[in-house]
Amino acid sequence: MGIFVERNKLTTLEEAAKIVKDGDIVAVGGGLCLREPIAMLHELIRQGRRNLHIVGTAHGFDVDLACGGGIVGTVEETHVSFEQDFGLAPNYRRACESGAVKIKESCCNTIINQLRAAEFGMPFVPMKSIKGSDEIRFHPEYKEFIDPFTGKRVILVPALEPDVAIIHVNKADVHGNVKIEPPYVADVLFMRASKKVIITTEEILPEEEMKRIGPTIPYYEITAVVHVPFGAHPTSCYPNYAYDRAHIAEYMRAASAGPEVFKNNYLDKYIFGVKSHADYIERIGGEAKMRLLASWKESREKWMELFTYG
Amino acid sequence: MVNGFEVGIDELFVVNVARTIKDRSTVFHGVSSPIPMVATYFAKLTHAKDMVYFGGVSSAVDPNPPFLPYTTNDWVMIQGRTAMVTVDKIFDLAQRGELDRSFFSGAQIDKYGNQNVSLIGTPEKCKIKFPGGAGGCNLSADCVNYTIWTTRHRVQRKKDRVIYTLVEKCDFITNIGHVTPYGSRRDLDLVGNGPDWVVTELGVFDFDPETKVMRLRYLYPDTTVETILENTAFRPVIHPDVRIMDMPTKEEIELIRQIDPLKVRQLEFQPEELRRKFYI
Repeated sequence: MGIFVERNKLTTLEEAAKIVKDGDIVAVGGGLCLREPIAMLHELIRQGRRNLHIVGTAHGFDVDLACGGGIVGTVEETHVSFEQDFGLAPNYRRACESGAVKIKESCCNTIINQLRAAEFGMPFVPMKSIKGSDEIRFHPEYKEFIDPFTGKRVILVPALEPDVAIIHVNKADVHGNVKIEPPYVADVLFMRASKKVIITTEEILPEEEMKRIGPTIPYYEITAVVHVPFGAHPTSCYPNYAYDRAHIAEYMRAASAGPEVFKNNYLDKYIFGVKSHADYIERIGGEAKMRLLASWKESREKWMELFTYG
Repeated sequence: MVNGFEVGIDELFVVNVARTIKDRSTVFHGVSSPIPMVATYFAKLTHAKDMVYFGGVSSAVDPNPPFLPYTTNDWVMIQGRTAMVTVDKIFDLAQRGELDRSFFSGAQIDKYGNQNVSLIGTPEKCKIKFPGGAGGCNLSADCVNYTIWTTRHRVQRKKDRVIYTLVEKCDFITNIGHVTPYGSRRDLDLVGNGPDWVVTELGVFDFDPETKVMRLRYLYPDTTVETILENTAFRPVIHPDVRIMDMPTKEEIELIRQIDPLKVRQLEFQPEELRRKFYI
């Protein structure tokens, strides 16, 4: 991790995205259909970033979008799918099967322990699992070793220090203090292990207000802050909004029909053809859509409806 | 004319998975696991009230979700919780040998209970990419025991080939069963004891204590030993006392319907399987 003491870290999506360089190891926050930094991924796709090495645990929409948007060179995730909701991830599969991306599939505890090694400033972690699994074939860097204390076989996995973490959060102040609502997934680990951390946030709070509620992560771990309401759409960012199942259904139709249809019907429509994030929000249904996605809090029935539309 | 209370294959399947959960144990289900999600919550409300229940990757302790959602990582799954932990704490529990049970599946499952959730082909030249095992590689090694489940035991007969889920040998081993090409669990010095139950839509298996090969224990009212043999690429051990499974009670089925109004328990089944009904 780095130490960042600037008093005002507020910047734009365009400027913040430039922190991410071609070929960087990028930790993408959130997971599956929850609190993924989608607006930042849009910007990286628009800027034509290439050959990123994406790391994370169980993900879905974000990794599939990044693969479909052409910015990924290596995927080191533990699972990429839309679960039984929409099934297998079409762009991710295509990229793996065509050889467009290098597969470095991993396992959740391995990734967590590697991030913790980075957080602790340790070079590696010994693990008792992984032995017996072919997952080791994705990772020639792992080393088998005899524990000198017990004489037992362990697998040494190296510290994983991402170049940049991109994380969408609920609240931040301009100094970089960050408040995240649970579930945290691997986000706190990502922030501690990564060299730089870019935050997109639903809300900017006055610093006094942040002090009052208490940040999840203190300012000195954060490199840049961007104010992006609905920046996780179509994944969820509770309590503000549930996931947008109808939009994900539209995405799946485009992605499943092949790269050309995906480009024409999705990338051009929602990423290359939009002027700003506000313009994107208009295209996906504007304020009416956002009110709908916030309606989960009105009743159990309303919340259930959000899982069945689309 | 059929008399009695109707039970769907999905509901009976949930009960079979729930029966593998013991009270006073620590239990975690992973991602892409709708049936274990329903089964674990059901067990917590019925026979395993003192289970320490980790509600999926959202990592809430003992949640009381208002309904069960289509994705395992949603605020629904942290409602009514006792506490939040971070997901690394659940993995710590496992690597200390203190996570009693989890649930894993695969596109291929071999006779020793190894599972392939990764790919067909090789890491360098992948022919078919599956989603990946999430925590399965680590947890299948570390959990005290785990339950394997699949709703795709029945062979798929395509024009030019027959596709088995229960295979002699996996093309790639993501999650570890009892014996791997790298050695047995004892050879590998693993923390946990491996899979002890396999629940499929055709039967329920444990593992033969001697050979560590899957052993048929229970059939559904509409399946036979022949059904199992026809749909399994290896020869499972047949327990001498193999019999039809006990049926759940009407109250148990009503509870499943109440906690799972969106019917996430049906998401994993082929539509034709869901036509299978049983009566109690």
